Amino acid sequence: MNSAIELSDVGWKAGKSFALKDLTIRVPVGSIYGFLGPNGSGKTTTIRMLMGMMKPDHGKIRVLGLDVPSEMPKVLARVGYVPERPHTYPALTVGEQMRYHASFFKNWDEGWGKELIDRLGLDPARKIARMSKGETGKLLLLLALSQRPDLLVLDEPTDGLDPVVRRDVLTAVLDYVGETGATVFISSHLVHELERICDWVGVMDDGQLVAELPMTAFKNGIKRIKVAGAPATTVENAPFTVLSREQANGSASVETWIVRGWQDPMRTYFTSAGMTLRDVVDLDLEEGFVELLRSSRPKTSYRS
Amino acid sequence: MYQPMLFLHWKQIKVALIPFVMAAFALPLVSIQGLGLPDDPELVSAAAYQMLMAAQIWLPAFPVLAVSIGVTLALSSWNWDHQLNHVYALSLPVPRWQYATLKMGAGAMLALLPAAGFWAGAHLAAASVVLPPGLNAYPNALAVRFFLAILVSYAMFFAMAAGTVKTTMVVVSATILALLLGGGLNDVLASFIPYFRDTNVPQAILEALVSRHGPLEVLSGSWTLIDV
Repeated sequence: MNSAIELSDVGWKAGKSFALKDLTIRVPVGSIYGFLGPNGSGKTTTIRMLMGMMKPDHGKIRVLGLDVPSEMPKVLARVGYVPERPHTYPALTVGEQMRYHASFFKNWDEGWGKELIDRLGLDPARKIARMSKGETGKLLLLLALSQRPDLLVLDEPTDGLDPVVRRDVLTAVLDYVGETGATVFISSHLVHELERICDWVGVMDDGQLVAELPMTAFKNGIKRIKVAGAPATTVENAPFTVLSREQANGSASVETWIVRGWQDPMRTYFTSAGMTLRDVVDLDLEEGFVELLRSSRPKTSYRS
Repeated sequence: MYQPMLFLHWKQIKVALIPFVMAAFALPLVSIQGLGLPDDPELVSAAAYQMLMAAQIWLPAFPVLAVSIGVTLALSSWNWDHQLNHVYALSLPVPRWQYATLKMGAGAMLALLPAAGFWAGAHLAAASVVLPPGLNAYPNALAVRFFLAILVSYAMFFAMAAGTVKTTMVVVSATILALLLGGGLNDVLASFIPYFRDTNVPQAILEALVSRHGPLEVLSGSWTLIDV
């Protein structure tokens, strides 16, 4: 098993408004996979499918080498899941919720759970209904981690949390991964947050996976370049992908291109193609993400 | 798994269940209020008749209370899961049938509390009234019937509440419509199909359900604490 999560040609349609289109995702074992995308791009729907909560119209899903949904209880016994919205029972206290949760998981680590309570600053006697969003987020992570899962599926786990809680949550995840080598599948629309922790990234937009690549390739491979003497027609035989082209400010003959898959030796391409490369500018991950989305959408339907 | 599930259900329902337990305890006692034997031996047989009549007055209250408890238990079983869109329940590593069975078992166990309250109340009531010859008190039988009535109504509404609100509304509306319009529909059908002239089908279905050996028989029949 090389992939902790495998989605092959998964499709699902919700009326006329939204569809997942032939989604193919491979999450390598032991990786921290950032699942990026704007709100409404299909991240949560995808996660619910791999958690067996929704059935795809077509395609195959395997998680930890097991078939979803037919082997779901075996899958769920090895997956720690933090959903987008809090889902714990409000009338229980933290300690009661932990005991309830523990009764379903054979690998539940009592000692680790207690340690996490202290580390995350939770009170076992506190009623969940009276907890803040940050405390609830910590509790959900505590439940997921104390299961000792082989795979953590985190659906926007830090959304709406303050920076201190966010740091606590991500640190707890990284510590766990460092100790166990577990795989993490984490969705977010906060690009900079994933930049620090992920080694793989998948980008969703409008129900499609528009990119899936190692984080280093994503960070270093997307550039803004200035080109003089570019042909008016499509650029042919380029060793990189041109995501967008537009006229550079103040010059009719110079264009700004956003390119993907850039490597420095590719500079020679421009001379051989009769163009002049004026400048190469690094984009940070967020800019790269925005440009990637912009290039994947028809210009008329671009949403900011 | 069962014990935490039972605890969870208890936490959900305790505010509603405690008054039900008290009501179940009090109802048999209330039903025998004012009953007693006269000093004049000649009036004993008349008193026995009065006791039976008085017991009849309270007859509908017993099944109504049992059904109310059953419905409350059933709705509370699924209430939180519905509120949380079943996300938590579906993320637990148990097959759905096992989860539903655990939940149902927890509710059935909690039904013992009002049944126990009723049993104690019925025994106390039976002990506090002097019965004329020929009449007997049946606290155990009545308590068993009360418990079974809770279980039957609990099971029915548990199954309905497990679905979506839409499914529940469809089932409940269809049942009410069938009860209201069943007779009229039978008359209409009778003008086309001879079978419906001889048999009132909705009436026959209802009777089959609540009559002796029917699945809802426990809700009808004899509910009296004092009988011959």
